[in-house]
Amino acid sequence: MGRLSWRLADVVEVRPETGRVVTLALAVPGWDGHRPGQHVDVRLTAEDGYQAERAYSIASAPDGSRVELAVERLEDGEVSPYLAGELRKGDQLELRGPVGGYFVWEPDRGGPLLLVGGGSGVVPLMAMLRQRAADGSNVPARLLYSSRDLEDVIFREELERLEAAGDGLTVTYALTRAQPAGWTGYARRVDAVMLEEVGWPPGERPLAYVCGPTRLVEAVAGHLVALGHDPSRVRTERFGPTGVP
Amino acid sequence: MTMDETDLRLDGNGVAGMLAEVFGFEMTVCWGCCAGCGASNQLGAMLVYAHGMGAVACCPACGQHLLRIARGEGRWWLDLRGLAWLQLDEQARMAG
Repeated sequence: MGRLSWRLADVVEVRPETGRVVTLALAVPGWDGHRPGQHVDVRLTAEDGYQAERAYSIASAPDGSRVELAVERLEDGEVSPYLAGELRKGDQLELRGPVGGYFVWEPDRGGPLLLVGGGSGVVPLMAMLRQRAADGSNVPARLLYSSRDLEDVIFREELERLEAAGDGLTVTYALTRAQPAGWTGYARRVDAVMLEEVGWPPGERPLAYVCGPTRLVEAVAGHLVALGHDPSRVRTERFGPTGVP
Repeated sequence: MTMDETDLRLDGNGVAGMLAEVFGFEMTVCWGCCAGCGASNQLGAMLVYAHGMGAVACCPACGQHLLRIARGEGRWWLDLRGLAWLQLDEQARMAG
């Protein structure tokens, strides 16, 4: 693990993902790599010296000095409107990290894996799935992704490709607000019945990672434990009031 | 939906950077024991209420305050009364 100090990263690419989410690809001098599920702290400093810090999950699998964040623009946010609206290729950004170790999964931890994400809570889960694919891992994995509608699903095309690879990943969406014509999938919030249908039986002792808005995370973790899953194998990361999937 | 305390609740992951800055360890994987109910958990599982100056972290089992941390005027303030013990794992040390 590297020293935790603030450093300047170069923005090398800004890529829209959805109407409200952009991927920021950063080149971070001296970056030592990271583990899937970790985040960075980003710090913005105003001209008058006022500083605001926020934690953003890393979306990419470890890849040299390149780090990708996926940032959702919150209209009343202090930091995200700048990151996901103003920042351009060639700009610099102050950050420190990687930080976090609790909400981390690497293929050698095994599975089966149950990933449950709400809205931008899918970002650290995506890093896990990208690492899984990069390593050629066939640890059985199921992603249950709650989103307001299909247009708000981040990484949709890539998730389709990953699932089509046929290496043991399934992706299931729950669209909570609006569904396209002919939608036959889930059209409600994640609940216990859904977790029982999509997830693994408790007897298989899956590793569960749940990330998203606090309400979703706490509801899902509560359902999993009530269904008989070992609480010590259910890891959570709460994003607070961000988004309302 | 109206916002209440629930929405603002984070967990130990959200203050990993701040704790690493103070302790020099990746604290979310380190274990602590609640002085109130005796439950041991990794600090990543703590329930956290963050504010401008710092954060309050609570036991996920009973809700007791485990750790209060604040910074201001070039100082860090720590209140660890809610922890019976805190274990720092050498493997979680941030390299210098």
